This record gives sequence, C-alpha cells and structure tokens, in this order.
Amino acid sequence: MGILFTLPVAALIGTLLLIPIGQTVYYSFTNWDGFTSQWIGFAAYRHLFQNPEFVTVLENNAVMVLAIPIAIALPLGVAFLLNAQLRGWKFFRSVFFLPTAVSWVVIAFVARRFFDPDKQGILRSLLDHTGLGFWHPDLLAHEHSALIAVMITFIWSVFGTNMIIFLAGMSTIDQEIYDAAKVDGAGSFMVMVKITFPLLKRFVQFAFVISLITAFSALFSLIIVMTNGGPGYGSTTLEFFIYEQAFTENNFGVGATAGVILFLLVFAVSMVQMRMLRSDE
Amino acid sequence: MSTITWAERRSLAVWRRRGSKVLVYVALLAVTVIMLYPFWLMGQASLRSLPQYYLGRGFSLTTWHALFAALPIGHEMLNSTLITLSSILVILAVSTTGGYALGTLRYRLSGLVFLVVLASMMVPVQSMIIPEYINLAHLGWINHYYGAIAVYSALGAPFATFLMTTYFRRLPEDVIEAALIDGVGYGAVFFRIMLPLAVPAIVTVAVLQFIQIWDDLLVGLLFLQTPANRTITVGLETIPAQHFQNFPMEMAGSLVSALPAVLVYLIFQRYLIRGLTMGMSK
Repeated sequence: MGILFTLPVAALIGTLLLIPIGQTVYYSFTNWDGFTSQWIGFAAYRHLFQNPEFVTVLENNAVMVLAIPIAIALPLGVAFLLNAQLRGWKFFRSVFFLPTAVSWVVIAFVARRFFDPDKQGILRSLLDHTGLGFWHPDLLAHEHSALIAVMITFIWSVFGTNMIIFLAGMSTIDQEIYDAAKVDGAGSFMVMVKITFPLLKRFVQFAFVISLITAFSALFSLIIVMTNGGPGYGSTTLEFFIYEQAFTENNFGVGATAGVILFLLVFAVSMVQMRMLRSDE
Repeated sequence: MSTITWAERRSLAVWRRRGSKVLVYVALLAVTVIMLYPFWLMGQASLRSLPQYYLGRGFSLTTWHALFAALPIGHEMLNSTLITLSSILVILAVSTTGGYALGTLRYRLSGLVFLVVLASMMVPVQSMIIPEYINLAHLGWINHYYGAIAVYSALGAPFATFLMTTYFRRLPEDVIEAALIDGVGYGAVFFRIMLPLAVPAIVTVAVLQFIQIWDDLLVGLLFLQTPANRTITVGLETIPAQHFQNFPMEMAGSLVSALPAVLVYLIFQRYLIRGLTMGMSK
C-alpha cells in the first residue's frame, strides 16, 4: 500500500530529475551536439580542464566563496540585535526578509543601476554626496571587478534568509543562560561572543551550506541580466557556463561535462553538511 | 573610578544602556533603508517618463502606458498564475501522498526511497536542464504550459516530499493505527485524517513554491519562449532588449511582477519562515 502512495512522486522525480541527471553523466563523456553524440570517454574531461575559459570559470566560483563569510557575518550581527526583542523587532524582521520574495531579474535591474557609473548610478551619487565624488568606480565594465558587483548583490539578497536561520537558532538558546551571564556581569558583547555564537555553530554551518549552494547554483538569473557573464568571462560562474555552452554555443557535450562537475561540487558540500549534522546529534 | 558614588554609577549605566539602544535603532534603520530602497526606486522611477527620470524630477504615467503597450502584461500575469498554481497542485498531490507513504505507512524499502528523495534535492537545475530540454523537445512539450508545469513540479517535489515526510513522522501513530483497526482504509485515513492534520505543512510548501516558481527565469526562458505563453518574469527579462536603457520601464515591469509574490510573502510570512527552519531540523 505504501508503495502505491509512493508511485506518483517516484514517477515524477524519476522521469524528470533522475533520468536527466543520468543522461548528463552519460553525455558528459561524449561530444554531444544535441542530436548526435560520440563516446570520447575521459578525454571530454581532459579537454574541459585544459580549456583556459573553464579554468577562469572555476576561479570565479572559488572567488564567490569569499563572499560567504560576509553573507553570514552581517545577518548574524543583525540577528543578534533583533534577538534582544526591542520594540518593533518583528517589523524589522519582516522588512529584512522581504527581498526573499523578489525575483533575481528585479534584483539584477536594480543592481545594474546601482553600479552604473553615469549620473543616475546610485553608488556614484552616494559617493558624490559623501565627499568621495573623485572616485567613480565602474565595477561592471571591467573583467576583474564585475564579479565583485555580483557578490555584493548576492550578499544583499541572502541577508534575510540567513538572518531568519540565525534568529531561529537563537530562539533555541535557553533564556536562563543569558540571565546567568548577566548576573555574572557579562556585557552584551561578551554574551554575543562567548555564549550566542558557540551555541549557534550548527546554524552557522547550515547557513554556510545554503549560501554556498545558492552562490553556485541559483545565481543564473542574476548573472544573465546583470552582466551576461562578462566582460569576457569575468563574471561567468560554473552554472552560467553550463547554460552558455549548451544553449548559446550548442556545445551540449561540454555543458554536460561541466554539469557533472557542478553536481559533484554541490553534492560534496551537501554531504559534508549532513555529516556535520549527524556528528552533532 | 572609586570616587564615583553608587548613584552616579547607576545613572551612568542607564545612560549607557539608552545610548546603545539608540545605536541599535540607528543600525536597524540603516539596514531597513538598504533593504527597502529597491522598492522605493521601483515606485519612484516607474512614475517618471524617461526624460523626467534623467532630469531627476517630475511625475507622469507615460512609462506605465508604454509598459502596457510594449508587453502583454495581463496575459503574462495570467500565464504565471496558471503555471504557478498548477505546479503547486501537482507538487502537493505527489508530496502529500509520498510523505504519507514514507513518513507514516513505511515499507521495506521506504528508507531507501527517502534517501533517493534527499539526494534528488541536491541536484542543481543546471546539471539536469540540458537533457531535460532535449527530452521535452522530442515530446513536443516546449512552449506549452504542461512542459513548464512538469519541470517546475519535478524541481519542487523533492523538498516538498522531504518536508511532508518529516511532518507526518511527527504525528502520533496510534491515531492512524486505531483508524486502521476500525476498518477505515488507507485511502480514507489519508483523506480524512492525514490531510486535515497536514494543513500547516501544505501551506508552507505552497508558499515556498509560489515564490520560487513565480520568480523563476531559467525554466521559463527555455520552456516558454513565445510571448503567448511566457510568464511575467520571462517577459520582464525582455524589456532591456526591447527598450534599451529605459530604466523607468524596467522598474514598472519589476513592480508589477513582484507584487503577487510580495503579497503572498506578507500574508503567509509565518509559514515561509517555518519552511525555511524546517529544512534544517530533521
């Protein structure tokens, strides 16, 4: 009987997720062009890693990882402020979490204007108004800085999600621990460093993994609208490379090979996370 | 410090606490401005014509008229609504039944099936989208609602099933066993007992998926390519190509497309937060 109730979900996931991922693995060893394919074995992977563009793409992914500590530290600090449950904290929580509801396309439109160096550029007018008008950075125009603009936008977007994770974590900490610390004369900074953060380890790990998976596999829409992967390959990450190879260059085989690499990366990160959760229990 | 009296020290502490409270509010308000700025920008820029926008003052509805002339907004909103709601229905149908089987009934291999569901949660879209596209193209499912609905359902089903399974696992088993002993069938238990109990989890899944599918670009871009069946998010993405450098129009389109998801967020926020935190407790 249980098997019968499992059938719908098994059929759906099987045909539309598991078979395609199996096909991706198979085609990753071929020179597939969407119609015909020839088995070329591990040569496909060798070609890919010898491709300097692909190496740039992997480097971009590595650089994206650098955004994650900031994407965790900022919401962690703000969650700590909100956790004191000052008047109006629920309002702030709603506002900070609101960008979660907005699509990457919308965020990318605003971000493009934010980094635009012309007079309507938001960053530029901010600099002008704070006496830094002599400096007009044009992050999106340069190969080595476009990714920084993408990373800043990413940090803004995941702020709310990570804050919610930390608030959930803080609500699991017993109030008595705080009271005891106060009786012992600990200031709020000491409480944050010595009590809150260590007890939040599991939640920080979770936020880290979620942010990393987002950075590696959910920024396609942001990148295509904000930078289209450029200039050059400056802001092309692995997931964008896969789309580009397959759907604009018609290199379906290369896309599949890169798809397997992305899958392995995300899978490895998830497995590490599961391990950590289990070892804590 | 020893010369300060006890009373003085207390008032000093009070002042320090007040001061830090003010600082906290200043910080929170700064973050509020950073988070809300895009929404303000959408409203303000969309109410200016292009020349007014460059001038930095004045208001008009020119941009809004131009937006509705340039894009079939109503039709795209309807497409988005139909596709999003249908996908949610499919996801709910398979995840509640699947969760019931894996969480409550259980059978010899249900542990293994649950592991497969967990593993399929980790498949990045880009890693399966190429064969998916080719397969559905062979079936002639590109540019049809059902093609996109199938893909969205498959992408949403693993997490939804995971959520439902863990939810059903927590429900007391004796209620179900008693019903089964009384001769109520498995199907009746599911519809009469399990589904009503699962309403909070169902709302959580629906809200999470609504925002996810409504806001998606990649699947829409590949599987819904014609103006007749594309979603509002895909339509929005075509604005820069059609109207180069027309920022007011981008913002007007953004506002329209963001509104439904933001409304769902505001109404069901509680469930969204729950869904997020349920993802980590197993």
